[in-house]
Amino acid sequence: MLELDVNGKKVNVDASPLARLLDVLRGPLGLTGTKEGCGEGECGSCTVLVDGVPMNACLVLVGQVEGKSVLTVEGLAVDGALPEHLNHLQRTFIDHGGAQCGICTPGMLVSAEALLRNVPKPSDDQIREAIAGNICRCTGYQRIVDAIRHAAELRGRDQ
Amino acid sequence: MTADSRVDVFERMRSLDETVARLAACAAGETPFQLLSGGTDLVVESHLAPPSSTVRPKRVLLDISSVPELSQIEDRGDMLRLGGGVTYLALRRDPVASRVPLLAAMAKDVGAIQIQARGTLAGNIATASPAADGVCGLFALDAVIGLRSAKGERTIPLVDLYEGYKKSKRRPDELIAWVDVRVPSPTAKWVWRKVGTRLAQAISKVALSAVVEIDDGKISRARFGMASVAPTTSALPSVRALLEGNAPGWIDLAAVERAVDADISPIDDVRSTSAYRRHVAKAITREFVRALSG
Ligand SMILES: Cc1cc2nc3c(=O)[nH]c(=O)nc-3n(C[C@H](O)[C@H](O)[C@H](O)COP(=O)(O)OP(=O)(O)OC[C@H]3O[C@@H](n4cnc5c(N)ncnc54)[C@H](O)[C@@H]3O)c2cc1C
Ligand code: FES
Ligand code: FES
Repeated sequence: MLELDVNGKKVNVDASPLARLLDVLRGPLGLTGTKEGCGEGECGSCTVLVDGVPMNACLVLVGQVEGKSVLTVEGLAVDGALPEHLNHLQRTFIDHGGAQCGICTPGMLVSAEALLRNVPKPSDDQIREAIAGNICRCTGYQRIVDAIRHAAELRGRDQ
Repeated sequence: MTADSRVDVFERMRSLDETVARLAACAAGETPFQLLSGGTDLVVESHLAPPSSTVRPKRVLLDISSVPELSQIEDRGDMLRLGGGVTYLALRRDPVASRVPLLAAMAKDVGAIQIQARGTLAGNIATASPAADGVCGLFALDAVIGLRSAKGERTIPLVDLYEGYKKSKRRPDELIAWVDVRVPSPTAKWVWRKVGTRLAQAISKVALSAVVEIDDGKISRARFGMASVAPTTSALPSVRALLEGNAPGWIDLAAVERAVDADISPIDDVRSTSAYRRHVAKAITREFVRALSG
């Protein structure tokens, strides 16, 4: 049994410590928001935050995150936010057309969340750097950059 | 720790001493073993391994990604001591590491943030790829590595570590515990220049690191690292010899190009061609030397 902290909750999972964090999230924990694109650290669709820092869940073995806190796209939701408990990033991705087929979206959102936690008012260059490890084949990126910039403004207004 | 005898065993190390003791025990035993840090080389390799390799013997993975001593960065005056487990992200963000700006410049060019958060200097050094950016950057900083084993500690200048393509003098029971880098003088001229297919997530076609110190109008010290131009990272010894002792404005740039040519032996591979690499290697080195007199 491994004890993990995922999206703020302590969970026990019966998994080998050698399993990839990605597989444990999607399998026994049922958190299928985190996607697998390449399995080689190239595409970023499996991005999660470990102790607040973006990492590729396909390259992390689950035994390596015992005692650390893991945040997946499911953990971005805000209780009571309307509609659908979406946080600002999730809403602006929809509003700006930052999500099309959606395979890259969970990873993009998590990378963007890490950026906005560290840099509340990012420049476009900072936004582009923060998502440089996330590949999108649909949007051409500009709509994603727009969505993140807008979410940063909304977050700023909240504070 | 898994009981299944067919599959790998995972052991999470809590301290340097524990790791060194386990390494010694593993080295004395029969079961293959490997250190695991950020996994950005090792997990990818395992993932890419052909299906037949599922019958490879089980191995012991000693996870050192949470060993506290390995992630320390210490200011030692004219030197910095970087723990082997220091990540690229730490090099970019740590105030002590910022005393050597070349480190952050190099780290910014490795992969993207997800890789920078995980990948470590020791992993880069141990993988021993000629394309390794960390190794290339460290070459220009007179890096010396500290190897720890149950037998004690020994040090090797990084430029002497590699004996050939992916071959190094490190014994399997030795852990790269730290890397010492020299802090260049505040007036030193330096460069980090990586040429790849795109800005993020690209392995170097060629990378150059350089630190040059000038005293009384003459170059007193010149150090280089160049990636992806030879079976191992090159220290560009002929270029160094050409520069040291001379005034920056008086160096023949054609001679610099000839020196680069003599120091490198690039190959054609999936990422680039030998001819392109030679061209770029000469151009970026000449550009750096030209700028020294400006
Ligand atoms: C998408 C992607 C992009 C990348 N981009 C770059 C790039 O731009 N530039 C670049 O140089 N590299 C790049 N890499 C390669 C890799 O990220 C680096 O080489 C990294 O530094 C490896 O460190 P690690 O901690 O992840 O090593 P691991 O994968 O954990 O280990 C690698 C090897 O080092 C050994 N090892 C680890 N720690 C120690 C230690 N303390 N002592 C002795 N041996 C040890 C392991 O046993 C293993 O053999 C990239 C990788 C990926 C997946
Ligand atoms: S699936 Fe992890 S980076 Fe592509
Ligand atoms: S929306 Fe399809 S890959 Fe990004």
